[in-house]
Amino acid sequence: MLRIRNLFASIDGKQILRGLNLDVHAGEVHAIMGPNGSGKSTFAQVLAGRDIYEVVAGELTFDGRSLLAMSPEIRAREGIFLAFQYPIEIPGVSNLYFLRSAVNAVRAHRGLPELDAVDFMSLAKEQAAGLGIDDAMLKRSLNEGFSGGEKKRNEILQLKLLDPRLAILDETDSGLDIDALKIVADGINAMRSPERAIIVVTHYQRLLNYVVPDHVHVLVGGRIVRSGGKELALELEHRGYSWLEAEQKAVV
Amino acid sequence: MTMNSVLTKQTVYGAQFSAILDRLPGHGLVWVDRLRERAMEQFLELGFPTTRLENWKYTDVSPIRRIAFQPIADRVSPPLPETLRLQIEAYAAPRLVFVNGKVDPELSNRAPLRLLSLSEALADPEQAKVVETHLGQYVSTSDHAFAAWNTAFFTDGAFVVIPRGIVVKQPVNLVFVSVEIGEPRACHPRNLVIAREGSQVTFVEVFLGAGAYLTNTVTEIIAEPEAVIDYYKIEGESAYSFHTGAVQAHLDRSACLTSRSISFGGALVRNDLNVALDGEGSHCTLNGLFAAGSGRLVDNHTHIDHRKPHASSRELYKGLLAGDATGVFNGAITVREDAQKADAVQHSKNLLLSERAQINTKPQFEIRANDVRCVHGATVGQIDEDAIFYLKSRGVGEDEARRILIRAFAAEILDDLRVPALRDQMERLFTNWVQSALEAA
Ligand SMILES: Nc1ncnc2c1ncn2[C@@H]1O[C@H](COP(=O)(O)OP(=O)(O)OP(=O)(O)O)[C@@H](O)[C@H]1O
Ligand SMILES: [Mg+2]
Repeated sequence: MLRIRNLFASIDGKQILRGLNLDVHAGEVHAIMGPNGSGKSTFAQVLAGRDIYEVVAGELTFDGRSLLAMSPEIRAREGIFLAFQYPIEIPGVSNLYFLRSAVNAVRAHRGLPELDAVDFMSLAKEQAAGLGIDDAMLKRSLNEGFSGGEKKRNEILQLKLLDPRLAILDETDSGLDIDALKIVADGINAMRSPERAIIVVTHYQRLLNYVVPDHVHVLVGGRIVRSGGKELALELEHRGYSWLEAEQKAVV
Repeated sequence: MTMNSVLTKQTVYGAQFSAILDRLPGHGLVWVDRLRERAMEQFLELGFPTTRLENWKYTDVSPIRRIAFQPIADRVSPPLPETLRLQIEAYAAPRLVFVNGKVDPELSNRAPLRLLSLSEALADPEQAKVVETHLGQYVSTSDHAFAAWNTAFFTDGAFVVIPRGIVVKQPVNLVFVSVEIGEPRACHPRNLVIAREGSQVTFVEVFLGAGAYLTNTVTEIIAEPEAVIDYYKIEGESAYSFHTGAVQAHLDRSACLTSRSISFGGALVRNDLNVALDGEGSHCTLNGLFAAGSGRLVDNHTHIDHRKPHASSRELYKGLLAGDATGVFNGAITVREDAQKADAVQHSKNLLLSERAQINTKPQFEIRANDVRCVHGATVGQIDEDAIFYLKSRGVGEDEARRILIRAFAAEILDDLRVPALRDQMERLFTNWVQSALEAA
């Protein structure tokens, strides 16, 4: 589904991704781990099409089609979803209005009829309830004044409503208390399906206890330096990243 | 422009004045003629303001000065374009409609109120007495040339008196339409609104038009003790027009004025809104939204004068500027010596949609009492590209994302419009404005 070859990306002339390779197939869950500043969010944003990052070299294809020339909104409509590490606050736009605009933009692309305010309301409420999001939060301005945990739950709500084929979750577990983590993890697990792939970016094993990955990758210095099964995450939990960073330096 | 040619233009208006004085409303009432003559002298003396005056620093009115506008003395009813007609119809009864400065009985629909136009009031000896007590008593003509010009030349307008204790539920709509007829004309609407003790009223001034013209309007608002007034000014003039408007409100004890000013049209627009909090515990809220695209200048000057103790004011003006538009917000607040416990909050927020757009925003506080709370803040920003990306990453298209964020910027003002029909109308105007701003970008 997703194929990445030798991806180099930079911002303001600064190289962040340096030769990243990754294959993700439908039905798989991949975890990406790595130290702060190693390029995980950059990678996630490049996948979603953020234009402040320049893709200097490499290949990035989704279902065999290159994503590089595709705008973020088309990528989203084609089924790529990014849950932001830091969701943006937008005062003056109600959460519900935003969600409906997004869902209808995606539905139109897929040849489905628009949902009117009433139909959408009941759909949104139903999904929101499962995530512990109440009506008040749906009516408030998008993410404005939401707590860290509320923002993350709102990202999962968007994930559920937009029903993408590839979901990238950038530290969706950080800032969550135990109960919220469980809610979010259940939300992610409910999205696991043979047609969908999920990439979770995380620092913590605790999420991976709930959302058990098929593959774990370690990103250091803008490239994947080690890949393995779910045991790799446990090993990292014990040993940290320094041994891999040291190996990395030795190679370079 | 040289001094000479300025004088020449003034002379043109001096000659016009002598020629039409006897056809202007109220002629023959000594006090009206005096009021007009005195204002005319002041206008000639002041001349049009130049950018050397602090209050006009960013607003060059030479496009207005260069034209010798013809006055309007008699009623001319040009056929109205269909689009204007529809816009007028959007404002329900009770409604007074003025076309090129004169009340239009066919387009007006006064039921269920007994609304009078100012010219009608002046023709009725009983009402004229009330007018005499108030007209020209509040607005200053000694330092505001446009207000002086209006006072000399006003042709008509609304005269609204809400009796003591009466609560008027329906908004009173006052629609001013200007249509170009041959030469460029100046239209001088003049309104007087009096809310007697404990009364409540909502009134809406709407300015519309087609072609090139100048609307130079003055409104005096008197709120007696405990009166509550909701005032809307919708400036939707034609793209080739000039609009200068002065509003002077005078609030007595515990009176409350909420003003919402929305400016969408006009090539050159100057709104002056002055409020005297002249009674203990009086309060005003002044909210504004102005949107201007290429080639336009919109200037909002407000002045809140805290004269008595325990008065409060809240002010929020939002400017939206596209293309090479210029916006001005100048918010003056005066707190007099004995206006203790004054509580004034002022915010100016501005969104620039292009690198060529400009905003000059300035608070101007003069505080002579010591026990006061005054807060102000001004922001100037661009569309947040992180927010755009966030929306796009959810499938929302580029233009739609911009529309959503621009609408979000205006939300504090647009969502607060309390008259449903007006809100719908503003929503439409706003959507159109945003569309053309995006297309021009
Ligand atoms: N706009 C920017 N300008 C300059 N440098 C940037 C910018 N954005 C990111 N970087 C740099 O790119 C590097 C990678 O950042 P990125 O956010 O991708 O790391 P991360 O792996 O997600 O870290 P974390 O675990 O802290 O979230 C960092 O050194 C960061 O400072
Ligand atoms: Mg990150």
